[in-house]
Amino acid sequence: MSVNDDEFVWFRDFFGRKTGIYFEDNKRYFVDRRLTARMQATGHKSCLLYLRFVQFQASQSEFQRLVNAMTVNETYFFREDYQLIALVDGVLDDVKKRKKPGESIRIWSMPCSTGEEPYSIAIYLLEHWPGMADADVEIIGSDINSAVLDSAREGLFTDYALRSTPPAIVAKYFKQVSDTTHRLLPEIREAITFTQVNLSNPDETRSYRGFDIVFCRNLLIYFDSTSRREAVECLYGALNPGGYVFLGHSESMSRISSLFTISKAADALVYQKPL
Amino acid sequence: MRRILLVDDSHTVRMYGRSILTSLPEVQIEEAQNGIEALEKTIAQKFDLLLVDVNMPKMDGYTLLRELRSRPALWSIPAIMVTTEDKEEDLRRAYAAGASFHLSKPFDPEFLRRSVALLLGEGA
Repeated sequence: MSVNDDEFVWFRDFFGRKTGIYFEDNKRYFVDRRLTARMQATGHKSCLLYLRFVQFQASQSEFQRLVNAMTVNETYFFREDYQLIALVDGVLDDVKKRKKPGESIRIWSMPCSTGEEPYSIAIYLLEHWPGMADADVEIIGSDINSAVLDSAREGLFTDYALRSTPPAIVAKYFKQVSDTTHRLLPEIREAITFTQVNLSNPDETRSYRGFDIVFCRNLLIYFDSTSRREAVECLYGALNPGGYVFLGHSESMSRISSLFTISKAADALVYQKPL
Repeated sequence: MRRILLVDDSHTVRMYGRSILTSLPEVQIEEAQNGIEALEKTIAQKFDLLLVDVNMPKMDGYTLLRELRSRPALWSIPAIMVTTEDKEEDLRRAYAAGASFHLSKPFDPEFLRRSVALLLGEGA
């Protein structure tokens, strides 16, 4: 049971059209292994028959399983924390000063994977942003992968995911449930709303509006150039005027779009939607 | 030489499909305007792949596929079903009728070529 060149190229195109994610040739082994596993799990004897099954299955549940298999990204708490520092050291204060009383500050973590990023933001704000005293902050975590969202809601994390988390923070916000596993306290888990969304599907992203800050880290690097530009336009539409985007450290907005103004907050580059 | 039959009642769509597929190597393209004409041609001549529109007068795409699949000599010819939308019901009917692959209109030239190349490769 294997995947031939034509099947790989066809699948890459099919998957890219639906998700924006483009697998370079060097991802061939990664893709083949996951396709083969799904072929076996669904009892298909050839890749072609499996691909036929995926495209005709009206419920799309097998396509979602493929998405889940192809989009797992390992992450950890307080990754690239210089961006969190930027958040509490300028960005949030700037957003807050434009808010009328009673208006909430809305933060979108997209993609949120298994929840480390939105939870890190929540904890970091509680610990380090004095503005929390009189601000209402809403954090939404979204991902295309339904399995990581289930895991995020569950709130169970290993030592490995907490490798950059100070022990005092682990003690304060987590309950140890086994030698290597910790469960985030319910008050933090319940503070984040998790939703499934495909950034490449305008029907799904249409309702995502009125955000002040978007964390979109290490997603656009997996997109082809057209999907990347469309995704950035989607983020632009999702933001309030004056809102900010944080990208991953290796990503640059200037190569994708000129919609945003680039500036520096603490040690981080941030992209602002013009007021 | 691989032979492809384009089955669509629209002259424009057939022209469009032909213009896209002629860039594939070693491919010869024939046309049929409806299911009945396609069935007659497929019985009389050898084809390696069919590109079949769903909605056609006289005999629609689903009926054509069921007719092909009921004939031992034709049951395994790869056939791409072309629908106007990704409607669940269309997908279900196309699958049940025996479509190999599915494309929705308006089809992207590159994806059409890729799908045809994949299905032609399998028959080699």
